[in-house]
Amino acid sequence: MNELENPVQKLWQEQPVEGIKMSVEEIRRRAGKFERRIVRRNRRETVACVLVSGLFVYFLIGTHDLLFRISYGLFIVGMFWVAVQLQRKGSIRNLPPTLGASSSLQFFRTELERQRDAVRNVWPWYLAPLVPGYLVLTIAYAIAFPQPVRWIGVLAFDVFVALIFLGIWKMNQRAARCLDRLIDELNVPE
Amino acid sequence: MIAATSAQDELYREAAEIYGAALERLARAYEADAELRRDLLQEIHVALWRSFHGFDGRCSSRTWIYRVAHNVAASHVIGQRRTRAQTLVGLEELENIADSQSGPVAADRNHALNRLLKLIQRLKPLDRNVILAYLEGMEAAEIGEISGLSAANVATKIHRIKNMLARQFQQGGSES
Repeated sequence: MNELENPVQKLWQEQPVEGIKMSVEEIRRRAGKFERRIVRRNRRETVACVLVSGLFVYFLIGTHDLLFRISYGLFIVGMFWVAVQLQRKGSIRNLPPTLGASSSLQFFRTELERQRDAVRNVWPWYLAPLVPGYLVLTIAYAIAFPQPVRWIGVLAFDVFVALIFLGIWKMNQRAARCLDRLIDELNVPE
Repeated sequence: MIAATSAQDELYREAAEIYGAALERLARAYEADAELRRDLLQEIHVALWRSFHGFDGRCSSRTWIYRVAHNVAASHVIGQRRTRAQTLVGLEELENIADSQSGPVAADRNHALNRLLKLIQRLKPLDRNVILAYLEGMEAAEIGEISGLSAANVATKIHRIKNMLARQFQQGGSES
């Protein structure tokens, strides 16, 4: 260790601390609590997914139209796919136990790349799975209610949904670019 | 299995005993809010205990401990980035920012410490890592091992840190 050459180093090291101590038992309890938090989050997302899927199952049972049934079925499959991906890519996660084996630079870069990939590729795992169900639903509506007034309503709703999808995609692309800049900064030698 | 667990516990106890105060200082540098800081510190301790299960002695335990602590704290900063609008800057930018409140350390230690903390908390995680290691009195080689930066890069950063501290705390500049 260096001789303290700088009074600011002395100032830093001599600052009063609370002396917080945690026993191994307390640590184990905390570790368990964090694991349970992840389990609870996963369970919450699964319940939400089951509830929404339940609604589509209710619609599916309630209709005899084949196209509507296919669309609700596709929504259910899409919802489950999104829920599984959310659990895989979610922000609450256990940090790897090999943290001490990576330097800060490696760890920081990996973390930023993980987040960037999750937001950049939002289309295949978050948006696209819901598109087939939505398309079939639109066609089903168009066939079931062929009046022009209904068509305009369906079209307006389609545009609205497309704008929401576009907004989500744009927002995530912007976040990915921002993360890319941070990654690039890590790669620039001084 | 039991032997591995007890070795892990023992390594953690020793680390907490020797580096407990340094870890508190580190948490303070990464989180200004007292409540969140306590959570961060606990998270660091848990990560440290978990990490000792895979400690293979390829680096010193001190390097290992600081790597774990900095990595958990950096992860915390990345997470907080979404909820806080604060823009973090690099050492080179901070070096050029004038501080109207600059003054010697001896004048008012509490005030000086608060100013130092505020400066550190504005830094990007990797630069924060280097300045903290420097303030803890580590050698450049060990700072490089913890941060993953090249020796030349660490040397440049330490030079900047010294200049910045000299300017902010009126020490009359650095020689290196």
